[in-house]
Amino acid sequence: MKVPPPSDLQRWSEEVARDPKSPAFLPLARAYRKQGRRDAALRLCLRGLQHHPTHVEAHGLLALLYFESGQRARAYDEWSIVLRLDPENFEAIRGMGFYHLEQNDDAAARTHLERAAAMKPNDVTVREALKILDERKAETSAPLAPDNLAAWDDYIGTAVPAAPAARPPNTPPPSALRAVPTRPAPRPGVADPRRVFDDFIRAGQILGGLILDQQGLVLAGSLAGVAGTTAETVGAILNGAIEEAARTASLLSLGHWCGILLDADSVQLHLSPLDDGNILLIAARRDAPAGWVLRSAQQAGVAARQFLEAYA
Amino acid sequence: MSDILSQSVDRLSRVSGVLGAMVVEADAGVPVVAEMTAGVDSGPVAALASSLFRRTANAATTAGFGAVRTMQLEADHGHVIVAGAGELLVVVVAERNAQLGLVRLEASRAAEALA
Repeated sequence: MKVPPPSDLQRWSEEVARDPKSPAFLPLARAYRKQGRRDAALRLCLRGLQHHPTHVEAHGLLALLYFESGQRARAYDEWSIVLRLDPENFEAIRGMGFYHLEQNDDAAARTHLERAAAMKPNDVTVREALKILDERKAETSAPLAPDNLAAWDDYIGTAVPAAPAARPPNTPPPSALRAVPTRPAPRPGVADPRRVFDDFIRAGQILGGLILDQQGLVLAGSLAGVAGTTAETVGAILNGAIEEAARTASLLSLGHWCGILLDADSVQLHLSPLDDGNILLIAARRDAPAGWVLRSAQQAGVAARQFLEAYA
Repeated sequence: MSDILSQSVDRLSRVSGVLGAMVVEADAGVPVVAEMTAGVDSGPVAALASSLFRRTANAATTAGFGAVRTMQLEADHGHVIVAGAGELLVVVVAERNAQLGLVRLEASRAAEALA
């Protein structure tokens, strides 16, 4: 991958500094990624998406960045968004195929990879992945050899910045494709349950988030970034509205409630149901676009479910 | 005033995916002006939506977040959007795949006009 000349980097950087809404955030983020500065690229992407929430390429780049940093669930989430915006996006279809392959969900992997193969029959990585699926089908009981269990991070990770020149950018080496690790997707670091949403908060995506149980007690998360209130207070007070939301949706024949978005004077709040009657609450900046808040809630929901699966 | 109410509801009900729009008396939860598609009864919608809005708005205020301007209930088969307009509420029921951005915008504009 060729890194753009410093003059381009400087120009894009100045454009973004001058106007945070500038579309220059995307080439700049790509350049940072090529330089191996993934954290900076990730921050730029997240900030850029605040102003361009339906930018397909930015979501695609964010998916790659998440994937490379081991955040598989978030990468999957971003590819899902890409496909909602652009249902024929090859990179996203292929990415989701690889994700399912890694998760040993062979049926879903085959669906995506065959679709990708129909779009680009000559893509060697897709062909390799389908071959692996065929082999798995033929040898369902045979475990993978240990020397084949190279890290799946190698797929895109090694392509940045040290991909072999002979391989197209962003495509996994065949050996990495064959080597499908069986380890689960990474779980949020929650030695301290208050920190379960710290990644989102650090990235500026949300101000805070809480997982509440059925009684309105705080299971995890924090609202440290939200002025003038405590997590326990918010949990206890807002939890009372949930029953009414469920009843309203049901009585109006709208089915199950999926969420409530509140636009208040100081923040935007989003409440959504998790498993077993638990509730996810996130707080976002007052001026964040509503679509962005909903997307953040969706992503935080993935982290919350992982937390509940692992620790609750 | 009734012209403004009718115009607001009329404009909202023309947005793609909107099943009904109404202006509701906030405390009583009864519709003042309503335009609903066939099969959607404005009475229950007004009562339930205003009750939910009041409940969530009170909760948010008590928790220190200030007044609630809009509330959006997302459900499997549609959305209910409520925008506060002083003693009145603008209530919209929309399909799941409605143009929500436009619905929210028009609801907020209507609420500003009525407040």
